[in-house]
Amino acid sequence: MIAVSISIAFVLLTVAGALFIWRLFQGPSVADRVIALDGLLMVVTCGILVETAREDSVTSLDTVLVVALVAFVGTGVMARYVERRGGE
Amino acid sequence: MGSFLDVVAGVLLMFGSALILLAGVGVWRFDDIYARMHAAAKAPTLGILAIALGAALSVRSVVALVTALLVVVLQLVTGPVGTHLLGRAVYRRLRPPLTGVDELARDEAGHES
Repeated sequence: MIAVSISIAFVLLTVAGALFIWRLFQGPSVADRVIALDGLLMVVTCGILVETAREDSVTSLDTVLVVALVAFVGTGVMARYVERRGGE
Repeated sequence: MGSFLDVVAGVLLMFGSALILLAGVGVWRFDDIYARMHAAAKAPTLGILAIALGAALSVRSVVALVTALLVVVLQLVTGPVGTHLLGRAVYRRLRPPLTGVDELARDEAGHES
């Protein structure tokens, strides 16, 4: 049961990542790309969490915290960039 | 008991992934940047919460539980802040066309006069 649901979760996350990548390339503004990158990092976060459940070990769990923090700092910095420079 | 927890963890993992996929569909399909930010900000928070809980229930150790809790708290704290920063930057600098009434501009104009 758990193996099947982990596979389904991976498939759903892959499709979500593909949609975020489409928006990342499509734009049209900088803010759209920031949103897409933020969502992509959320997909990475959730992927590592699901991988933790698959492996049944906590070795890769610390990276989740790092990725979540990097996502927040990146979004904040890009928001400041958009606010200072404008952006198109 | 173990198999029951496994079932709960599997359901939580699938539910959270479905919410992330929902956010992806929203970011893909919505045609307004505010709508896209709305889709990207709210659904994945609950999704990460569900997936972290599912992973912790699947591993079943104290380290996993504490780290998952930390991830959830971090997401709950940083998610709204980042979205607010980006939304303010978009409103002030990009000025996308709004559908409906721009209530902030209306209130600020009323305040100044």
